[in-house]
Amino acid sequence: MISKTFLKETKELLRDGRVRIAFFIVILLLGLAVWISARQYENVNEQYEAAKMAERTIWENQGEKNPHSAAHYGTYAFKPKYPLSLVDQGVDKYAGTSIFLEAHNRNEAQFSAAADQTGLARFGDLTPDFILLFIIPLLIILLGYNSFTKEREMGTLTLLKSQGISMGKWILGKWTALFTPILIMTAFLFLVAGVLLSGLENFGIFNWSALVVMFLVYVGYYIIFINIVLLISAKTRKSGVSLVISIGVWIIACLAAPKAASNIAEAKHPYPTRQEFTANVLKDKKEGLDGHNPWSKEAKLLQEKVLTEYGVDSLHKLPFNFDGYRMQKSEEHEAEIYFKHYNYLKEQFVQQSHVYRGLAAISPYLPTRFLSMAIAQTDYATHWDFADAAEEYRIATQKFLNDNFAENSEYGNWGYRADADFWKNLPAFDYNPPELDSVLSYNASNLGILGLWLVGSFGLLLFTTKTI
Amino acid sequence: MIITDNLTKKYGDQTVLDHLNLHVKEGEIYCLLGANGAGKTTTINLLLGFIEPTSGSAFINQLNVQENPRTTKLFLAYIPENLMLYPSLTAVENLDYFSGIGGKRLSDSDLKGFLGEAGLQPEAFDKRISTFSKGMRQKVGIAIALAKDAKVLLLDEPTSGLDPKASNEFGLLLQKLRAKGVATLMATHDLFRAKDVATHIGIMKDGRLKQQFKADDISLSELENSYLNTMGYKELAI
Repeated sequence: MISKTFLKETKELLRDGRVRIAFFIVILLLGLAVWISARQYENVNEQYEAAKMAERTIWENQGEKNPHSAAHYGTYAFKPKYPLSLVDQGVDKYAGTSIFLEAHNRNEAQFSAAADQTGLARFGDLTPDFILLFIIPLLIILLGYNSFTKEREMGTLTLLKSQGISMGKWILGKWTALFTPILIMTAFLFLVAGVLLSGLENFGIFNWSALVVMFLVYVGYYIIFINIVLLISAKTRKSGVSLVISIGVWIIACLAAPKAASNIAEAKHPYPTRQEFTANVLKDKKEGLDGHNPWSKEAKLLQEKVLTEYGVDSLHKLPFNFDGYRMQKSEEHEAEIYFKHYNYLKEQFVQQSHVYRGLAAISPYLPTRFLSMAIAQTDYATHWDFADAAEEYRIATQKFLNDNFAENSEYGNWGYRADADFWKNLPAFDYNPPELDSVLSYNASNLGILGLWLVGSFGLLLFTTKTI
Repeated sequence: MIITDNLTKKYGDQTVLDHLNLHVKEGEIYCLLGANGAGKTTTINLLLGFIEPTSGSAFINQLNVQENPRTTKLFLAYIPENLMLYPSLTAVENLDYFSGIGGKRLSDSDLKGFLGEAGLQPEAFDKRISTFSKGMRQKVGIAIALAKDAKVLLLDEPTSGLDPKASNEFGLLLQKLRAKGVATLMATHDLFRAKDVATHIGIMKDGRLKQQFKADDISLSELENSYLNTMGYKELAI
């Protein structure tokens, strides 16, 4: 009976001109979005590779130079574009692509794609995640809003009920008929994305298992929508009413809930303004050691401590250049300040994430969106991870330079120049994002909530439609 | 095959069916006559298990409908006043679906055979139902009953809106089913058709079965007079 109902529903869908047009439009949009994203991904990756190589070449070819001058000259850490960003661009567009690494300062990522666009960018981009998260649920509504109401309106429900059918099997037949085209369409998209990505040169860390997990997350999301739409159709008498309620649910779940969640999270755990943040960092910095100010109280205290430790009465008698040593101590102090203040930001981010996860219970969109971005490595957590890795690299770079200055010159000798080959000894910045396992484990609550939605919506559909 | 035992249905204080006792045997066609609101459709809905009786019982093939709602439906076929099928499917596809969900696996030639037996023209077999007249849809309904090998046929105003030719064809189909031993209960306003096809006729008013006849024991004019008298239109009776 399930297969009979499935075949009947499929025939009806295929013979409905509106459905054929809707399918054509969605497939066209998907194709366009994937093509645009693939081109964009290829371009950005080429730019990334070119910029990374150019920056490294500049770094290695500085010639003879004072290491601390090189520290101020700085270098860049570039954020790689990950293969699955082809499917979900997440916050990449807004989060910046490179961090300038220099002495004394922790800088934020800059040069975001959004900053390079005109005001029209506010309308959003045609990306696969937009189609996957917003348009396909709308297609599910279009295909399924009258699944049961049409039986009432056409009068076929009475004839069906008189056949002694099993309601559960009948509903499963309808469910399968709605799920199959959505599954085929989604599978096709992910297959095309996989083939495109594995065909690209330097596709890096792309792996099929992450793509499959992402595919399953979206399939789960669509199953939830199918269950909700069928439930509404089963419990309403008119197709028009069913359509309006289903679209209302879509608006709440996909448009209103994410914005409300964002507002609530920001209200409960606000980030400091940029002005406040900068002022707080500056205040803490002023209260500590400044590597460039040998006359400050903190510098004098450090000097006395080091002289006592080494049992000498002059900085000239130390076995290293105290200027370089002071610079390093100043870096360590400043790194602690940045660690403290960025840790506070991170704590706020974690608290906001908890609010989002709590609110994910009101919309299946939220856990799906978070999981999709996390698996694509385009979420804020990955961005934080990248920024932390860049900061660790900055600290290591400063130590590398200050140690060379301190160990190879004498106190007061600011004219010291490191060898032209010295710069090559600094390992290049190489960022490895979290593995799929740790991404999934970090997002276990989102997976759990999505699972609850899945089980709950299925249960509700089967339980409440026993008596249609 | 069809038995109602003091079958009663009340909605609040209103009694729409009052202690109905019917017995339709194999190969019998029982026509229930009555004005709107007499309780004819309620009787059929109770036999289908669509509504619960307030008291009394209904039996199909010796099984209590209330206790065996799904099993009893396996023995019966139902054709409502306006038989609605899936408009975008053909006659064969509709028959295939309705017989398939009942567990029957029929070949294409079987399906066409049943449609032909029900009187549908072969050129209509593969046409979509959206192009069918009411009479043609009723024939598909009969084909569903034939394919199901139903023991009981419940008909609710099946000839209403049919032209005389289609109505006559429908009557002939009922006789065919009767010859196969099908027990039929038909609710209708159509005295002429009732007299033409029925083996037994009952007249209902206000939820009560007021009179019962064997169709052979009464002429059409006697039936008409009885009906008008029962309905309270004595001045119209001859």
